[in-house]
Amino acid sequence: MDSFDLVLSRNEVVGLLGPNGSGKSTILRMIAGYLQPTTGLVRVAGFDVVRQGLEARSRIGYVPEDVPLYTAMRTREFLSFMGRVRGLPRTDLGPALDAVVERLSLQRVQSTLIGKLSRGFRQRVAIAQALLGRPALLLLDEPTNGLDPRQIIELRETIRLLAGEVAILVSSHVLAEIERVADRAAILLDGRLLDVFPLDGVPPGGLEETFLRLTADEAPGPSAGGRA
Amino acid sequence: MSRFPILVDKEIRALFLSPIAWILIAVFLFLMGYSFTLTLFSTSAATLVHIFFQAAGLLLLLVPIITMRSFAEERKAGTLELLLTAPVREGELVLAKFVASLVVVVVMIAATGAYAGVLGWFGTPDWGAIYGGYLGLVLLAATLVAIGVMFSAMTSNQVIGAILAIGVSFLMWTLDSLAQLLPTGLERVFISLSLLARFTPFATGAMYASDFAFFITVTALALFVAVRALARR
Repeated sequence: MDSFDLVLSRNEVVGLLGPNGSGKSTILRMIAGYLQPTTGLVRVAGFDVVRQGLEARSRIGYVPEDVPLYTAMRTREFLSFMGRVRGLPRTDLGPALDAVVERLSLQRVQSTLIGKLSRGFRQRVAIAQALLGRPALLLLDEPTNGLDPRQIIELRETIRLLAGEVAILVSSHVLAEIERVADRAAILLDGRLLDVFPLDGVPPGGLEETFLRLTADEAPGPSAGGRA
Repeated sequence: MSRFPILVDKEIRALFLSPIAWILIAVFLFLMGYSFTLTLFSTSAATLVHIFFQAAGLLLLLVPIITMRSFAEERKAGTLELLLTAPVREGELVLAKFVASLVVVVVMIAATGAYAGVLGWFGTPDWGAIYGGYLGLVLLAATLVAIGVMFSAMTSNQVIGAILAIGVSFLMWTLDSLAQLLPTGLERVFISLSLLARFTPFATGAMYASDFAFFITVTALALFVAVRALARR
């Protein structure tokens, strides 16, 4: 990663766009505290992710790309475990679980083994655990991967609903997804942030044009490997 | 609030929900029971010394099978990323996995306490030697669990983690045999690092503070390396 400078405000959805291998997951992992930057600083709600890791991580909800979950646990059992790990007091745990279960429409799979859930439900469970403890920042890594069209629409609605309460950084290589859910787009290529711009002024299809222009400007030349 | 008890609880549940722990406990108890009965009827001696050595030998093989899943499985499934991006310290996580695996092994060892009960019922065993032997087994188990957790933290392949742990545990167990081939200065060093040489006094009814310190030091060192291995990602 190199020259990445981005500030997110509360109640804002920023879409991190870039081709496969551009560094989207690496950036999210650095913000989430899983990877440490060799230089630079990542702050979440004022806390340094490296030096004040516990404080920063308790303010982050993170959904990795492959949606890793404990498949031998039941949905509510898993959410309860993650809630306790996230430091929710025992008295607040029940109401917090009820709230995320209702918000993500998980009522009918509360007692189901996670290993038996569909990809769509797994994605919802993963988002539900990320919301426990009321994070200031929600990180979603390629959240629509593997979802069917209906599940994608539902997830889009969920993200828009959550946008009222928490800052969201969502990565995707699907332009249309970012165009639909994000307030701003951040274009990433080869580990470098090329541009960040609001999407409200961009006409339909305009993001595609901007993305192509920015990435073409930065693409290596055909013979010398330099920049065009 | 500390996350440690929550993590230990989750690990213990996961271990006892998996058939592996039950199968290992069953195999261990079957082999130990077979050996105990055979030795008791052939020698008629009210002692568990041979049982302690056989238990130690079995632990060298079985403990790595219990610990191999601890980190390697989580790393492979991606759930380690979920845990390490939650407000959890790496040290807490390592310690939780260590304690949970040790609980399984201690349950395994404690179940052989029935043999001591049989000896006490029908004879007059030396209880001091029996308590010492069990203490030695628990200390040895703690060291083996720590070594197993350490190798599991270093790889995402459970089998590789188990093989490395078995290899290193066996090497440390037999270091005193190797010591016989070495010059005097090195001989002492190798004997002092041998698990067998450190365990033997416990199994035969003697206890030395240096042996306590050895097991505790190796355990702590292995857990420290496991924490460092997790931090390097």
